[in-house]
Amino acid sequence: MVQRLARLGKLLIGLWLAGVAIAMFLVVPQYEGLGNAGRIVIMHVPTAWVAVVAFTVSAIFSARYLWRRRPQDDDYALAAAESGFLFTTLATVTGMIFSQVVWGVYWNWDPRQTSIFVLLLIYAALFALRAAIDEPQRRRQLSAVYSLFAFVTMPFLVFVAPRIADSTLHPNCAFIQGSQCDGLTLEVGKIGLLGDRKVQLLALERNGDVVTAQVKVSEPGLTAERVLSPSFDLVHEEMVARPEFPGLRYQLGLEAVDLEANSALLNIEAPGTGLLENRRTLFTFLAAIIGFTALFFWMLSVRATLLGVQWALAQRAGGRL
Amino acid sequence: MHKELDQNVAGVEREELEASGSLGVRAVLGASWAVFVKDLRTELRTRYAINVLVLFAACAAVAVSLGVGFIGLRRTDEALLIQATLLWIALLFAALNGLSRGFVQEEETRTMAALRLAAPPLAVYLGKFLLNVLLLAVLEAITSLLFIVLVRVQVGSPLALIGTLAAGGLSLATATTILAAIIARASFKSALFAVLAFPLIVPPLIVAIQSTAAALGSGGLPQAVPALQFLGAYSVATFVASLLLFRFVWEA
Repeated sequence: MVQRLARLGKLLIGLWLAGVAIAMFLVVPQYEGLGNAGRIVIMHVPTAWVAVVAFTVSAIFSARYLWRRRPQDDDYALAAAESGFLFTTLATVTGMIFSQVVWGVYWNWDPRQTSIFVLLLIYAALFALRAAIDEPQRRRQLSAVYSLFAFVTMPFLVFVAPRIADSTLHPNCAFIQGSQCDGLTLEVGKIGLLGDRKVQLLALERNGDVVTAQVKVSEPGLTAERVLSPSFDLVHEEMVARPEFPGLRYQLGLEAVDLEANSALLNIEAPGTGLLENRRTLFTFLAAIIGFTALFFWMLSVRATLLGVQWALAQRAGGRL
Repeated sequence: MHKELDQNVAGVEREELEASGSLGVRAVLGASWAVFVKDLRTELRTRYAINVLVLFAACAAVAVSLGVGFIGLRRTDEALLIQATLLWIALLFAALNGLSRGFVQEEETRTMAALRLAAPPLAVYLGKFLLNVLLLAVLEAITSLLFIVLVRVQVGSPLALIGTLAAGGLSLATATTILAAIIARASFKSALFAVLAFPLIVPPLIVAIQSTAAALGSGGLPQAVPALQFLGAYSVATFVASLLLFRFVWEA
C-alpha cells in the first residue's frame, strides 16, 4: 500500500514539474525587454528556496542524530546536504545566467550571492570533513556537530552580507508586497556604492519642476568614469530620465530629492521589476515552488533509504569477515 | 588496576554531573585553568604554535611591505580598505595555521585519553580556548606593530583599532576552537582546518575589515561601536554553541 502511494507520488511530482516547465514557456507572458531568457527566473527562485530548506532540514536531522544516536537520522542529514548542494548549485548557475542576460554581469557580490556562495563553501567543507574520517560513528557525530555549528553562524551572514554592497540587483520590491528597495541617499559631493559601481553626486540642478542630478559613475577598479544625468519631477513625484549604467542593462534612477538638505535618493532600476503583478506569473511561481519542494523531499527519502541499505550491506559484509 | 581505573572514571562522571549544576562551576573553572596552564607550559617548551603564528605574520607583513610600503602611497579611502584587508589576511592565515595546535598536539602525542580521564569536557574546551585567545592576542599585537612599522600604516584612532582587533580576535577564537577539536580526529588535519573554518569566519571577517579601515582613517571609537557589537554577538553565539556541542566532539 505504502509502496503504491510512493509510486503514485513519484508520478505526480514528475507530471507536476513537467506542467511547470510547460507553463514556464506557454502561460507566463514574456517580460518586456528581457526576451525568453527571462523565463529562467521560474526555475531560479524555487531552487534557491529549496537550497535554504535543505540546509535547515540537514541541521534538524543533525540535531536529532546527536539527540538519539540513530544512524538513520545521519542518513537523512547527509541526504539533505547532498540534495541541498545540488539545488544550491542550480540556483547559483541559473541566477548567474539571468544576471548576465538582464544586467550584463555574472557576479557582483550582491548580498544573496554572498550568502549562497558561503552556503556552497559550507557544504563543500561538510563533504571534505566526511571524507576525512574513516570510522563511521565518529564521522556521523563530528559532521553533525559541524553542520549545527555552521547553522548557528548563518544568521550573522544574512545580517552582514548587505554591508558588502549597498544595493541589490535582486528585485525585492516585486517579490514581496510592501517591501522597499532602499537605494542610496547622498548629499551633493558625497560618494557611495550602488552594486559594485562607485557613484558620486556632483550637483542637483532645478529647471522648472524637474530636478536633474549629475552623478559620476565609476567602473569597478576605477578603470572608467562617466557622468549620468537622471532626473525627477517634483510635481508628479516620479522619475523622468533613467539613464543606463555604461555597459550594463540596468538604469540609474533618481527616486527622491531633498533640495533643502541638498541630497538625493539614488537607486538601481532593474528591468523586470514588477514581474509578479501578473496573476498567471504568480501562480506559475507558486506551482514551481511546490513542485521543487516536493522533489527535494522525494530525493531526500530515496537517498536516505539508499544510504541505509548501503550501511546495512556494509555491516553484513563486515560481519562475514 | 581495573578497579582503580573504574573509580577514576566514576570520579570523572561525578565531576561531570557536578559541572552541570551550579555547585561544580568552581571545580570546572579550576580544571580549565589547570588545562590552560598545562598547555601554556608545553607550548613554551616547544614554542611550535607561537613560532608558526608569528613567523607567518612576519612573512606576510614583509611581503606586503615590499609591494605597497613605498612612500608615495596616497591615503585614500581605498588605500585604507586595502591596508585593513591585508592586515586581516595576514592575521587570518596565521591563525588558520597555528590555532589547531592545541588539540592536534594532544592527538599526536596520544595524550587525548589521559586528558579525557583527567578533566571534564567543558574544562578541556575552556582551557584550550583560553590558550587560543592568548595566542591570538600575541599574534595581533606583533602583526599590527609590524604593519605600522613596515607598511607605514597610520592609525587614526588607536582605541577603535585595539577594540576591533580584540573583538575580531575573540570571534576567531570562539569560531575555530571547536573546529580544532573536530579536525584533530580526522585525517589531513591542517588543510581541513582552513576548509572548515573559512566559511564560518566570513561574516566577522567582513565586519572586522570594514571597522579596521574606519579606525585607520578618522573614524573614532563611537563609529566602531556597531561593528564591536556585531563581533561581540557573533562571539557569544559561537561560544555558547561550542559549549553545548563540545561534549559530542570530545566523546566521538
